[in-house]
Amino acid sequence: MSASLALPLERYRDSLAQVQPQPAGASQSWLAQHRHEAAQNLQRLGFPQRRQEAWRYTSVDRLLAHEFAQSAGETLPDIDLQAFLLPSLDVHRAVFVNGRFAPALSSLEGLSPGVTVGSLKQQIAHNPIVPAGWLGKAAGAPAHVFSAMNTAAMEDGLFIHVVQGQEPARPIEVLHLSSAPAAAVMAQSRNLVLLEAGARATLIERYASPDGSLYFNNSMSEFFLQDDADLEHYRLQDESLAAYHLHSLFIHQHERSHYRNTGFALGAAWSRAELTIDFLGTSAVAELDGLYVTGEQQLSDTHLDIRHAVPGCVSHTRYKGLLHGRGRAVFDGRIEVKPRAVKSDAHLHNANLLLSRNAEVDTKPQLEIHADDVRCSHGATVGQLDPAQLFYLRSRGIDAGAARRLLCLGFAGEILERCPVAPLREHVEAAVAARLAQATDSGAGA
Amino acid sequence: MLNIDRLQVSVDGKPILNGTDLKVQAGEVHAIMGPNGSGKSTLAHVLAGRDGYTVEGGAVTLEGEDLLALAAEERAHRGVFLAMQYPVELPGVNNMVFMKTALNALRAARGEPALDAVGFMQRVREKLALVEMDERFLKRNVNAGFSGGEKKRNEILQMAVLEPKLAILDETDSGLDIDALRVVADGVNTLRSPERAMIVVTHYQRLLDYIQPDFVHVLAGGRIVRSGDRTLALELEEKGYGWLEQEDAA
Repeated sequence: MSASLALPLERYRDSLAQVQPQPAGASQSWLAQHRHEAAQNLQRLGFPQRRQEAWRYTSVDRLLAHEFAQSAGETLPDIDLQAFLLPSLDVHRAVFVNGRFAPALSSLEGLSPGVTVGSLKQQIAHNPIVPAGWLGKAAGAPAHVFSAMNTAAMEDGLFIHVVQGQEPARPIEVLHLSSAPAAAVMAQSRNLVLLEAGARATLIERYASPDGSLYFNNSMSEFFLQDDADLEHYRLQDESLAAYHLHSLFIHQHERSHYRNTGFALGAAWSRAELTIDFLGTSAVAELDGLYVTGEQQLSDTHLDIRHAVPGCVSHTRYKGLLHGRGRAVFDGRIEVKPRAVKSDAHLHNANLLLSRNAEVDTKPQLEIHADDVRCSHGATVGQLDPAQLFYLRSRGIDAGAARRLLCLGFAGEILERCPVAPLREHVEAAVAARLAQATDSGAGA
Repeated sequence: MLNIDRLQVSVDGKPILNGTDLKVQAGEVHAIMGPNGSGKSTLAHVLAGRDGYTVEGGAVTLEGEDLLALAAEERAHRGVFLAMQYPVELPGVNNMVFMKTALNALRAARGEPALDAVGFMQRVREKLALVEMDERFLKRNVNAGFSGGEKKRNEILQMAVLEPKLAILDETDSGLDIDALRVVADGVNTLRSPERAMIVVTHYQRLLDYIQPDFVHVLAGGRIVRSGDRTLALELEEKGYGWLEQEDAA
């Protein structure tokens, strides 16, 4: 490891050591064990380098240039919750600030019997059976140092547990807010969702922060969908353009479970979303849709790893990207069909629209098939706005900027319409339009 | 209303229009006929302001204003409308949102207040009948998956909604069966008015049986080589374009 990489690693380790979480109870040796093993991995893993395939197009240099420190304080910074709420969204709401549960900002009353939504830390303190049994199971050994760091510091985050056959009365909204008025804070939330057999839920996760906030969200989530469970998951990442964001989501799907994920990444300065699906039971279905919009100096990186290990599972993946200004995006989507996984139905497609000649996308859809009798496809496109379409709109009196916006929103529409939660969809549509307004008015060639 | 004076246009350095002259008054319907490659579609596109055409000389004015100096959308604001030969598909762009955006852009340019969804629907509903379309067309994406006939009807619907001063119909008959042609022509005829001029570009006489022009012009080699009334179209139908070329050569 080079000296330039060793230095920040030491710093992160020291920072972690200072805030080594106190076990919530004397009997939590399982948790201490997780943390200890992860800490052992830090030095071995080192920071990712671009010679590693999974980091080939994504440099961490910008991230390491900042001296992020693990947030130690128990007191949360003041934050104006109202500024982050969506109108007419009727939900159970859990709010986290810098990775820590904020009970005063949350509204979780009236949850149905058999439904638990709240803080992982409190759950570990009061009833650790589920966390002890499931944490780390989907994530496995850390693939990179950031996962090891998250596990080494694992303390608080979202906890959802729906028992067999139950369903919350309303969607669950989880607001991950970040606020770092003084220091460059690193928040490492750890999230655990367990839907037992036949349980259902709708989960809306939003990452947001005041403009200009500088912080590093290094979060990890593990979702377990047992037989016949059904989870609709909508995720909006729309953070400060100074922020850094890494999120690794691991899903275990059992028989006939159904997981639907629609993700909107409007970004931070640097963001990377990793999604790993493991099919552990037959006839499970995953529908993954995503839209990323990147401009300015933003980097948006998406990594998907969809592993068909058992027969008869379905995965349909559609990601679209709109890139403007000097925006960069990486899409690395991989489907793996293992020898046992006959009758797999796996499709993955990525389409990108470049709105400026300085925008760049590196897209790499991959398909590895080791089984017979499967239906699989993958593909990627990178294009620009069609001059014939632009002329058509302009010839009807619509100015060039508005015409570009209409076409871009039309391009994004296929993903937007996958979100049936109207207040969220309309919010995202308006946010995308706002992001594009400046880019499209300044001309296609800028 | 429209005055085209010795217009010369090239595409990629290749001359297409070589001094085209045409005068169109309000209320008139002019047909422009000509063999393939004579410059008919180029003329239609240049008038509407499409990129990719270089004006080498001449002038075009609309009600005295230099049309060629205006961007495509500004020409639309002044009342120019081009019904396209190949209407493009706009996946993801809702037809009603598209037409409402277009109409409100024209209204804004004229200093008129924007129509809300209710006001727009009132206006569009009466126009739908003109082209025998129902409201389901408004819910679909613009031209996406439309049949050839539906696309052309959608063009005429837009023309009806936007109420242009100068409507240019580029090969509106191409790809239409006889029933669709009749629907489109009926729609166009309903939109004829003393305030509105129309230029109907067509290769075949057939369309002119339905949309009867006041004047017929023949474009060949980038110039209007013959002008006349409806009977010129019938003569062309009988003798073919070769007849004119032979006469010119003689």
